[in-house]
Amino acid sequence: MKLFTAFKLACYGLWSNRFRVLSAMMGVVIGMFAVIVLTAIAIGVKDTLMKQMGSLGAEQILVLPGRVLDTANGQKDLLSGLTNVPSTLTYDDAKAIEGVPNVKSVTPQLETITIAQYDERNVQSVLVGTSDQYSRIQHADLSEGRFFTKEEQAEEARVIVLGNNIHEALLGKHEVPVEDEGSSGEAQQTKPIWKKVLDKLLGQSASAEETSLVGKHVTINEESYEVIGVLAPNATLGSSTDNNIMLPIETALATTDMKNLTKMIVESASVQAVDEVDGAVFNAIKAQHSEIDFSVVKQDQMLGALGKVTSILQVMLFGITVTALLISGTGIMNVMVMSVRERTREIGIRKALGATTSEIMGQFFFETLLLCCIGGAVGIGLGYAFIEVWNNNIEIFALVLPMWAVKLALYTTFGIGSLFGIYPALKAARMKPSNALRFE
Amino acid sequence: MIELRDVRKYYRSGSGKAEILRGVNLRVEPGEYVAIMGKSGSGKSTMLNLLGTLDLLDSGTYELAGKSVHKMSRGRLAHLRNEEIGFVFQHFQLIPNLSVYQNVLLPLTYGRKRLRRKKALVLALLDEMGISDKKNQKPDRLSGGEKQRVAIARALVNEPGLILADEPTGSLDEETTESILNLFDRVHKNGATIIVITHDIEVAERADRILHLQNGVLV
Repeated sequence: MKLFTAFKLACYGLWSNRFRVLSAMMGVVIGMFAVIVLTAIAIGVKDTLMKQMGSLGAEQILVLPGRVLDTANGQKDLLSGLTNVPSTLTYDDAKAIEGVPNVKSVTPQLETITIAQYDERNVQSVLVGTSDQYSRIQHADLSEGRFFTKEEQAEEARVIVLGNNIHEALLGKHEVPVEDEGSSGEAQQTKPIWKKVLDKLLGQSASAEETSLVGKHVTINEESYEVIGVLAPNATLGSSTDNNIMLPIETALATTDMKNLTKMIVESASVQAVDEVDGAVFNAIKAQHSEIDFSVVKQDQMLGALGKVTSILQVMLFGITVTALLISGTGIMNVMVMSVRERTREIGIRKALGATTSEIMGQFFFETLLLCCIGGAVGIGLGYAFIEVWNNNIEIFALVLPMWAVKLALYTTFGIGSLFGIYPALKAARMKPSNALRFE
Repeated sequence: MIELRDVRKYYRSGSGKAEILRGVNLRVEPGEYVAIMGKSGSGKSTMLNLLGTLDLLDSGTYELAGKSVHKMSRGRLAHLRNEEIGFVFQHFQLIPNLSVYQNVLLPLTYGRKRLRRKKALVLALLDEMGISDKKNQKPDRLSGGEKQRVAIARALVNEPGLILADEPTGSLDEETTESILNLFDRVHKNGATIIVITHDIEVAERADRILHLQNGVLV
């Protein structure tokens, strides 16, 4: 069989029926677009989570409230074991850990939801009482000002560092919803609608001549705090600092009713000492507690648990993708079977003029294959464009499209074209020319 | 030379089968112009399908240009149709989404011959048929006579030894019929063997010999 002839005839065939072909192709385009985008989402989420966990550093250990159960293979089962119990971890536990050999630093975190007030604006935020190590451990860079010092911690200084969103919201550049009722809610409503519309149009607050709150005072729980720094935007999945307000943990303990820690990040002196420190930290806290109501988790255990989550996500996406491809493949096959039926007389004419069974089969097979490959290429292109637009405009997490995913998508379109092209091609090739010529 | 010996053809009819051709014998010499006449349902089209290898014999033998057609595989039959036989149908059977030029070129596409001058050959034929100005048009823009000229050009493009025509003027008016029959005369004079299936006596009278198909046999 002359492959090139069959290919050329398939091109003619597609071009001659281009409007029907376009509608049939949409199935493959959407299918491939879904494959590319879903794969990029799955890998992007996995990468982002892994990076975040990885950014903890291999020498870091998390201390969490509640007991995380061990699995049969000795791993921490963070999925089934995490329980929503009240924290019993205290700042005294953190101080006890500081005395453990080979512990480089301990970063306790004490969190609560609060309302920050500046001028007439009330902004809901997460108040985090922590140590001077917080910005280093969380990789939270400062856009302006500075982070508080050990000395300020000791002095219980009334100083705070604002997350980027909170800073912008307090300046009136954009709003953070306030769920609180009463005076703060009323204060939020005091801004007339026309002023809000004007703010939107101008892209700024009409009253926002101020560009920074560093050096200014913000009120939290009727206590005035000096803003000493602002964190750079840090929009990521899960643990963004954008909506946080950080203050020294000693100040938080003195000025709020917060007593129990949300978590602690313990830094080992070296990676080699992590296992030893892990056990010693556990024992140090255990000595202060009447029961084991806390968990000590190493970075590799966190990554293992995340790996399980992302694996589940990938299996789910694989299922969706296979379904999408089967639907688009079946759609293509139906269109091609209809095409063979509509072109029965044409098949008869071609056979009468000398086309062999394999040439007819080749033509229709190549038509399906081409249809799938062109549709697939368009779908992949659109998916790629979507990823580019997403990555250039949305910061929450980056979509990642590895080359193997593109290759897999291309092979898949080829596979679908081959698989679903066989039946219509056989149907066309098996026609008797005398019957095909009589077909009405 | 064409030779059919005791050719039989059956079709399924309900639970049984109907015999359409009942032992047909036919011998046509090279360059001969033969007309086969018969009433509707007499088996004329079946006869043409068998001669053109569009359908297979149930029994009997068929020799064409010294080859035993009845023994050939489907693949070889396709090559035989391409190289030895040109078809002209009553309803033209042109492919609607191909241009006049592409329709005429089609047999060369499936041919095994490596013709360097395919384009020139097609254009010369279209010129000879008087339709070279229509070469880029689709068949639905042509008149009946023009469509049949395209079909004749397509039948001739591979220079086959046998032209099979099934009611070639059945869809044409009187004036166009005359011009198409004149074309057949010219093709015949150039040495082609022509077998025309018709029920029109005026068409049949242009042939060298007229045969009648009655009750499944030629008389």
